[in-house]
This record gives sequence, C-alpha cells and structure tokens, in this order.
Amino acid sequence: MAENGAKATVTLKIDGVEVTVPSGTRVIEAAEHVGVVVPRYCYHPGIPTRPAQCRMCLVEVEGRPKLEPSCTLQAADDMVVNTASDTARTARQSVIEFLLVNHPLDCPICDAAGQCMLQDYAYVTNQLESRVDEPKRIMGRDRISDDILYFADRCVICTRCVRFMRDVAEDDSLIVAQRGDKAYIDTFPGRELDNPFQGNIVDVCPVGALVHEDFVFKARSWDMDAAASVCPGCPTGCNVTIDTKENQIVRVKPRHNAAVNSWWMCDYGRKHLVMTNRGVRAELPLIRDGGGDGDGDGGELRPVDWATALDWVAEKIDALGSPGGSAVVSPDASNENLFYLRTLLDRLGVADADFRVPQGETAELPTVPTLKLRADRAANAAGAGFFGGRRADGPPNGSAGGALVVLDDELEGAGEDFGASADFFLYLGTRLPGAARNADAVLPIATFAEMDGTFTNFEGRVQRFHQALRPPGLARPGWMVLSRVLARLGDGEAVDDVRGAFERMAAQAPAFAGLTWDGIGLKGAPAAEAAGVAGSAEAGA
Amino acid sequence: MPGEVKVVERPRAESSYVRAAAKGMSITMRHLLSPNKKTQQYPDEKWELAPRTRGTHRMAVHEDGRAKCVACGLCPTVCPVNCIKLVPAEDESGERYAAIYEIDEFRCIFCGYCQEVCPVEAIHLGVHYENAEYSRERWVYDLERLVEQEHDVTALWDPQDPASQ
Ligand code: SF4
Ligand code: SF4
Ligand code: SF4
Ligand code: SF4
Ligand code: FES
Repeated sequence: MAENGAKATVTLKIDGVEVTVPSGTRVIEAAEHVGVVVPRYCYHPGIPTRPAQCRMCLVEVEGRPKLEPSCTLQAADDMVVNTASDTARTARQSVIEFLLVNHPLDCPICDAAGQCMLQDYAYVTNQLESRVDEPKRIMGRDRISDDILYFADRCVICTRCVRFMRDVAEDDSLIVAQRGDKAYIDTFPGRELDNPFQGNIVDVCPVGALVHEDFVFKARSWDMDAAASVCPGCPTGCNVTIDTKENQIVRVKPRHNAAVNSWWMCDYGRKHLVMTNRGVRAELPLIRDGGGDGDGDGGELRPVDWATALDWVAEKIDALGSPGGSAVVSPDASNENLFYLRTLLDRLGVADADFRVPQGETAELPTVPTLKLRADRAANAAGAGFFGGRRADGPPNGSAGGALVVLDDELEGAGEDFGASADFFLYLGTRLPGAARNADAVLPIATFAEMDGTFTNFEGRVQRFHQALRPPGLARPGWMVLSRVLARLGDGEAVDDVRGAFERMAAQAPAFAGLTWDGIGLKGAPAAEAAGVAGSAEAGA
Repeated sequence: MPGEVKVVERPRAESSYVRAAAKGMSITMRHLLSPNKKTQQYPDEKWELAPRTRGTHRMAVHEDGRAKCVACGLCPTVCPVNCIKLVPAEDESGERYAAIYEIDEFRCIFCGYCQEVCPVEAIHLGVHYENAEYSRERWVYDLERLVEQEHDVTALWDPQDPASQ
C-alpha cells in the first residue's frame, strides 16, 4: 500500500495518545486503535466508498485551519489529532441540530430506538433542545422492496444503503431521489429492489429508516437477548448474531468475520434462520419396551424420563454387540453430535452414514468472493464427511437389518416400513417425523440454536455457535445425550459442557487435532484436514 | 422453692379505680360534646382526595375513542414490579398500537413511574381507591377496562412548580 518508498507505517497522536498504524489508514480507523470511536454516519468499514458527506466525523488537526473529516483523512507521521476539542464538538453538535430539524423524534415507536446512532449522538453532543420553530417536513413511509420498509422522515441521507447496493452488491437499483431537505431513498424509476443480499441495507442503516417488515414493531432493542452464532443456511457459514425475545428468534444480523462473510449475509440465510425452531418438536424420550416392566420388546412407544431411556438404550446396544447396519445423519448436525454418533456407530460396526443435502439456487456477492450462497442447503456437510458420512440421493434406505441409527434427519420420502426390519432402530431428532414410527427409541435433541457447538464450513473452517434459545421440554443437545449413552457402555464420561465434548473430539478425531474450544474463538479456525474436505461437493468451488 | 410474694402497700388515693374511671369518662364526654368530631360516615361520606393521590390506573383516549398508548414499551420497562404486560402490533393504517395491554393492579405499588415515563401521556394513575373485587383475576385490568375508568387522573406534579422546587 505504501507509495513509492514511503514507510509501511505511520505514527501519529490522537487525543494525546501515540499510535502506529499501517500507512494509508484513515484517521477514523486509527482512532479506534486508541479506543476513540469518532461519531460517523456515512462511513461504514465494509463499504469501500467514502463520500465524507455527513460531516459528523470532523476532527481538529493541529496546524490545519479547518476541521477535517476523519473518514477520508489519511493518517500521516507527526499528525496531532484532537477528536474532542471544543471546535470539533461544536461542529458535531451543529450537524445533529441540522439532522433534527426534520426528524420526527418518534423514538417511542421506532424499531431502532436504543440502537440508534442519531439517538446516541444527540445525547453525546448534548443536543437536547431545538431552536427551530418552523413545522417539520413530513414524508411518511414507503415500501422499498417486498420485505423492507422505508421511514423517510427518520433518514439522515447517509447513503450507506445506496452505496452498499451500488458498491458492494453492484446493483444500482437504489438511489437518492430529490435534493436538500426533500431528498429520500427510492428505487430507480422502473426498477425494483430484488437482490439476494438486499437485507444488509437494514443493518447498515445507522438510524431506524430501514426496517425489515417482519421485524417492524416486534421488539424493543432492550427486550432482546443476543447470541453469537453461525448461519446454517449453506456451507459458507456466515457469522451471525441471533436476537431473541421470549425464547423466539426475532432478528438475525451478520457478525463481522473478514475470512468468511465480511460484514454481510444473504437474505435466504436470514429468513431461513428466523424460521428455525418453529413447528412441532420432539420433547420427550420415548422407548418401546413392551410396557412398564422394562424387560420386554414391542408394544407402543411410551414416554419415559431420561435416566430410564438412556439405561434402556444402553442395555439394548450392549446386548446387540456389533451387528453392523446402517445410519442416516443430517448434514445440519454439529461436529460434536456427529463425532459422538460416529463413536457409537463404530461400536455397532456401522461403517457408512448416509446424508442427503437439499439443493438450491446460488447467489454471489460480487465484491466479497468468500461470501456466496452455495447450492448445498446444509450447514455441516463437511463435518458429516469427516465422520464417515456418505453423500446420498433419493429417499433414505431403511430396509437393512442390524442396527439403524438416525440423527436428526426428517426422513423425507421414507416408506411406511422404514426401519421395520432393523434389529434396533434408534432415532435421535429435534422433530418426530412419521417415518420414525418404527423406532425402538426416540431421543429428543436440541436444534443448533438451542445449544453450543461447532460447524465445519465448506472450506474446512471450524466455527463456534452459541446457545440462543432454551430447548423445549426435555430435549437436550445431541452430544450431551450420546455421551451419556456411551458412558453407560463404559466409553468415556458424560459431558455437560460443550468444552468437554469438543476436547474429546479434538483428542480423537484427526481432523480436529490441535483445536481447542477457546482457541478457535468467535471467528473460527481451519480444521487440520482442511485441504481434503470430503463431504462438500463444492469444496474449492 | 416457691417465690416470695412482695406486697406493696399503697395509699388508697392511688390504688382506687374511681379516679381513673372518672378521668376516662371525662375524655369521653369531652369528645362527645366537641364540635371537631372525626368519625366519618363511610360510604355515605367520602374522603376528599388530594390531586396527587396515586390509585388505580386510567388510560387516556383520543377523540375517536382509541387508546392513546403507542405501545412504546417504556412503562413495562420502567415498572419496578413488572406488572404491565404489553404486546405491540401494527394496525390497519400501519400505526403501532397495543394489541394487549394489561396492568396487574394487585401487584402494582402505585409508584407512578409508568405515568411519568409515558411519552404520549396515555397511562395515568387515578385519584381512586375503591377497588374491592371478588377474585384476583379481576384485578388484572385490560386495555378496555383501563379506558372505561372515569375517575380523575393523578397530578404527579404541581403544574405551577413541575420540578418541586
Ligand atoms: S435509509 Fe438509512 S442507510 Fe439509507 S440513507 Fe437513510 S439513514 Fe442512511
Ligand atoms: S451465504 Fe449461506 S451461510 Fe451465509 S447467510 Fe446465506 S445461507 Fe447463510
Ligand atoms: S404505578 Fe409503578 S408499579 Fe404500578 S404499574 Fe405503574 S410503574 Fe408499575
Ligand atoms: S409508556 Fe405510554 S405509550 Fe408507552 S406502552 Fe406505556 S402506556 Fe403505552
Ligand atoms: S463519516 Fe466522515 S463525513 Fe460522514
């Protein structure tokens, strides 16, 4: 980046603190290194263009006659920057005063309230009184796409949304219409906003001007809990934050990860995630032990407590020995679940575990090559591949004898007699599909949003996700359940914490050798066998 | 060992009940004849309540009868005993309104924070105290009931001196 022989780094002073940054860094970014967040609207770290139009980031630079916008000002050696001088503060206060001239101050009904940069800066600059007597301009609200609403009166015309579409998504259907105080955001005449990544304009909007229709008036920002997670929509594994209210997912936002999704995510992933955890769930362990005496077989599936279910399942498996058989796994299962299942399958002598991956349309974000909605519609096909999974097509085959184990596959297309001829049919699932009717035992497990765990993305990056919701009824994480079955068979210990499960996996599965739960952190780390990701048809695509 | 009983000899003037009884009767007579009688003939006579009395709530309405509440969620947030339940929603004209708004008056401590925090002066405490009910459920006032209340609303501060100086 350094221009003809210029130094690679520059050292400057910001608010009295000396900081050394790579040359070419803007002052607004350098300030973050010393813990100073200069107020900004038009600047967004993920959007390449910097029009310096909002004038919110003005700072004083010693020796320069006028204030400079720190979002475009390049840091230089011996520069002395003052972000909090009286002149800089007064300038910011005037910007806020101007923005508030027409702002409706409808924070009580605005979905951004509490997470709004206009609200925050109005407080920071202490701009609490208005000197304007004229009536406010009123524009009302508009539908900017089939799922995004635009509240024009709240807009500060920072153009982040327009520039995200134009410069990141390379789609010029969004524009600023009119000028001055009549300016508003609209689609280009005759064009529609219909881009697979358009949801990101809501996330970049610094105020409440753009809101997803399915979130409008749903939750105040302080009512929500947030959990760091990973999108399960496709093998890209975009890092996300899941916002929940009263144990329901109400909103999903991308979480920055330079190696995967940058600042963005796709709309399919957003909608897919909000819909997870709806519908009827398996909530109780069920066993078919021929009634209350506990020694027989056959009869109806009956609900029991966990201890009874686990004891009975372990007893059955112990008695079976190593009969061989078959397994069907879900490519959405976490690495830990798949690892424990593999350990159990090895014990039963089952070699292959079939997994089927639904396919969908692909979409690319032109300027971010790592972010692509991939054809595979599953989170962890790569992980399934690591643990002896075999990609399969068509309806699952459940006619073999021996043991049959299903991990959270909904068994679409399975026949009436699926698993009827198996000696022992164990179903671990989040839901209870009809095809599980022949199961000898059903163990209810948590979805990825209800537990901690990891997924392996298409390029072998192991990424952590954290619990966002409480599981329903007695459902528990798969690794917790399986570790207990194995512990009863004398294999390892029952784990209660994902760290324990991850540790054992890292110790025993070569693909995860050397990784630790804390070590991979919130941004993930490549698996040891990243080069040979077996499960993903698209590795390297 | 049985305890010893100590017998105290007092002069008759001190130990006689006549004096004490006469004193008591004189107080009774004084009150009987006094013009400042305090007994109130409730419910025929009722208290004159101060304008800042804090009693059960009342919801203000627009001219067309709609509740003024915009479902901002501030009162459930500020309420120290968590007795307000609010579910916001969007009405036909796209406005935010309270699809469910309930106050459990039994749990309420009548602190007045909800009235103070409300940005649209919708929810108010009331100058009201006669709230007997046959069941606890009846103490949960829904929006309809809050709107129907007719008593005066509480003045949380003196309009002449809003900051209480
Ligand atoms: S809608 Fe939001 S992001 Fe777009 S210009 Fe207005 S304030 Fe900025
Ligand atoms: S690209 Fe894939 S992982 Fe990323 S948000 Fe879309 S579906 Fe989810
Ligand atoms: S008066 Fe106080 S306790 Fe009662 S509802 Fe209002 S905020 Fe809650
Ligand atoms: S504070 Fe006022 S407007 Fe907000 S929810 Fe309560 S009553 Fe409704
Ligand atoms: S953030 Fe620098 S001018 Fe807008």
